[in-house]
Amino acid sequence: MQTDKVTPFQFLVLVIFFTVGSSILYIPSTLTIAVKQDAWIAALIGNLLGLVVIWFFTTISLWFPKLTYIEINEKIFGKFLGKSISILFVLMTLLYASALIAQSSIFLITQMYPETPITFINLLLVIIVVMAVRLGIQTIARSAEIFIFIFFFLFIVLAVSISPQIDVTNLEPFFQTKLSSILSSSFKLTAVSTVNSIALFMIFPAFVNEIKKCRKNFYLGSLIGGAVIVSITMLCIFVLGSNTTARQVYPSYTLAKVINVGDFITRIEALMATLWTLALFFKVTLYFYAGVFGLSKILNIKEYRVLTFPVAAIVLFLSIIIFPNILYQTIFDEKNAIVITTIVGLFCPLLATIVFLLRKKKFKKDPDYANSN
Amino acid sequence: MNLFKKNRKIVIQPSPPSKSEPKSMPESNSLRLKLEENLQHIKSSVGESSDIVFREIKIGNEGNIKVGIIYTEGLSDSVTLQQIIMETLMLEIKESDIDLELTSDSAVLTTLKDFALTVGELTEVSDFDQLFTRLLSGDVIVLVDGFSTGFIIGNKSWEGRGVTEPTAQTVIRGPREGFSENIRLNTALVRRIIKDENLWMITKEVGRRTKTNVAIMYINGVAEKDAVDEVTNRIGRIDIDGILESANIEEFIQDSQFTLFPTVFNTERPDTVAAGLLEGRIAILVDGTPFVLLVPALFVQFFQSSEDYYQRAVMASLIRLLRFVAYGISILVPALYIALITFHHEIIPPALLVSLAAQREGVPFPAFVEAIIMEITFEILREAGLRMPRAIGSAMSIVGAFVIGTAAVEAGIISAAMVIVVSITAISSFVPPTYDIAIAGRILRFVFMGIAASFGLYGILIGVIALVLHLCSLSSFGVPYMSPFAPFNLAGQKDSVVRFPIWKLLTRPSEISKNRIRQRATKVNFKKSSHSKRSQDG
Repeated sequence: MQTDKVTPFQFLVLVIFFTVGSSILYIPSTLTIAVKQDAWIAALIGNLLGLVVIWFFTTISLWFPKLTYIEINEKIFGKFLGKSISILFVLMTLLYASALIAQSSIFLITQMYPETPITFINLLLVIIVVMAVRLGIQTIARSAEIFIFIFFFLFIVLAVSISPQIDVTNLEPFFQTKLSSILSSSFKLTAVSTVNSIALFMIFPAFVNEIKKCRKNFYLGSLIGGAVIVSITMLCIFVLGSNTTARQVYPSYTLAKVINVGDFITRIEALMATLWTLALFFKVTLYFYAGVFGLSKILNIKEYRVLTFPVAAIVLFLSIIIFPNILYQTIFDEKNAIVITTIVGLFCPLLATIVFLLRKKKFKKDPDYANSN
Repeated sequence: MNLFKKNRKIVIQPSPPSKSEPKSMPESNSLRLKLEENLQHIKSSVGESSDIVFREIKIGNEGNIKVGIIYTEGLSDSVTLQQIIMETLMLEIKESDIDLELTSDSAVLTTLKDFALTVGELTEVSDFDQLFTRLLSGDVIVLVDGFSTGFIIGNKSWEGRGVTEPTAQTVIRGPREGFSENIRLNTALVRRIIKDENLWMITKEVGRRTKTNVAIMYINGVAEKDAVDEVTNRIGRIDIDGILESANIEEFIQDSQFTLFPTVFNTERPDTVAAGLLEGRIAILVDGTPFVLLVPALFVQFFQSSEDYYQRAVMASLIRLLRFVAYGISILVPALYIALITFHHEIIPPALLVSLAAQREGVPFPAFVEAIIMEITFEILREAGLRMPRAIGSAMSIVGAFVIGTAAVEAGIISAAMVIVVSITAISSFVPPTYDIAIAGRILRFVFMGIAASFGLYGILIGVIALVLHLCSLSSFGVPYMSPFAPFNLAGQKDSVVRFPIWKLLTRPSEISKNRIRQRATKVNFKKSSHSKRSQDG
């Protein structure tokens, strides 16, 4: 199983799905609440900011191209401290996996299936996530390759069929909000879409073919995923206007509701939900994979698959109780998640960099060390 | 998938020979010197079966050499036996100047072999195992008194079915020959198409009791050596008493045992096998069945008909697309109907919704129950139609169409829309050119109906994700099942969902063969040259 590696195209696709994730559903309203019609600018800046973060991450991970993030931590910080930081990382990925599952079930229950018990909706998603993770990263990557075509097909259908209702004046006036608030919203987006992609470093240099090409595709994938988010934000503002968008919990869903092609194709929002369900599935799967695989590395278990069922049970339970209501979820996303992401995704890698630079001489003799060029 | 792999090992591991089987020759398996002893042993071993014929004759100038001839009646060609073998031994030897003396050395045998037995295929035999195998496959055994070595004369003759048109995979344009039950005829049919010395064949005998001949055919230099070894290896590991059809082999050698989807292709068309061989695939021919296996087999392959290559590229591409759409319909449409009726009314356009609601007004069942009743009825009809005598078939279709269709709607038990849904599903399920993949869709349809009834469109999407994950995890002899889609391969798209013109297909599928160059670009643009000619003429 260790031999099957991810090809550059597969990695690109995974990065796109990870970047889009659930942001496609929430980000337009999160951004418009803060910066109104300038939300798309915030989204744009957020994505460019993401490139810097990716550069930072890939640089760290390429010091040891054969190791996963967990092993790099151990190498740099030593056994005890390294494992502690890794545990923090694993806890974050599993927490986010549960949070995403909970988000999706809250969405489904409020919008589509008011009578279905939340446990079963979560269970359904957890089952296929476990199935995917047990089948291995290669299978996840291959299925992502197939679904990316469906994803972009639906996205283009959405964009084209909504286009008659676009009102460009909704974007005006530009730059009404303060630059500082734009930047702070941008950072929120970066945190959700890009900084969290530290989870991908359980895959990135160690389990990919053609590392250089994959690094390029990391930037590219982040840009394409970002473009999806920017355009969905713009479409929301174009069609719904910034005020309506800000008032919606699920603005893209509302956007799909107003599609009307010849008075025949209307209300196809349930079909369009495929878009974010796909992206969300892959994001949850990647989080869960990173968590389980990371845990197996921490515990020195050779076969990570034995951990999938027990960890899945925890994730399922957590996903049911994590958000008692949607307000709780919004506050978690806005405040707590940002803090956790910043600590695990930015502070820890920064610390790693400092320690690495201080002890660089020692690492140069390490067999796993490679010049990052 | 670990569990499954472990399981497979158990299936394939050669089991120790069971002790209950009586060993007919405990001391040694080789032939004795005395003819009577040998004949006695053979007689008792075959249980004095009446179709094994024993004939003792005396040959030589003084008739002092006893020879036993043993053959299986019905499997051996009696004309050859009598007119060539017996006549030579009994009559012509005396007239010729061949001197036969009973000596202790093997001079008699050599003389017989070199001068007397006027047949093509002749091998020496000295042990009973080989003797029985060949005797019971229709060859003639000649034993000479005083020697522990005998002859096997190839004299198989079996009235086969001959080459007929294939019934399971019909085409409008293309060769009409199909494989038959005789393996020699089948290999000849392939050889007749590919006259290349690199078309190699490995022959194996599988089945302890049936001793079925299995031939592994491949083009040396095109097929991957590793894959050939793997096929040979997997077939070699089979230890079973009998192989009755290539499906038995298929079950033993497929990569994943627990899947609905076929990972071994089968066909009864020699042109399909030849095309597969030219692409670098490996053909497995089994004696006694017209169905030949082809590996590695990919998902797209099951949607490709040999006819695609005999029609114009655009037509072939569109028809292929249609097949994929039809397959999707056959799996998903009942599920989508249930999901829309049960959970997502808003998607249905208002006018249609009104009409649907009016139809469903008197129907006592929820959409799911209605769909299940209709689908199961249809499956029963289909299975019954397949097995029943042909004469009753027309009566069946009347019952099916009239009673279950019209009458059920008029009685208000089933809505008319449901009948339409079931019909379109049923017709679509016959579109894929291979039966195996259609069967997978048949079963999946019920799974999707169940999940749609409980979770609506979201459930269907989850089901599709699970299905794609499963498909992506499969592989056929090391080749990912979903290639060239996943892993994505741009060159492979030329001949997957669409088919490019044949002069554009310059390479073989990269997953299957490393020897990729298939043709050097053939010049197909004749417009220019003919135009210039015309201008010269004018």
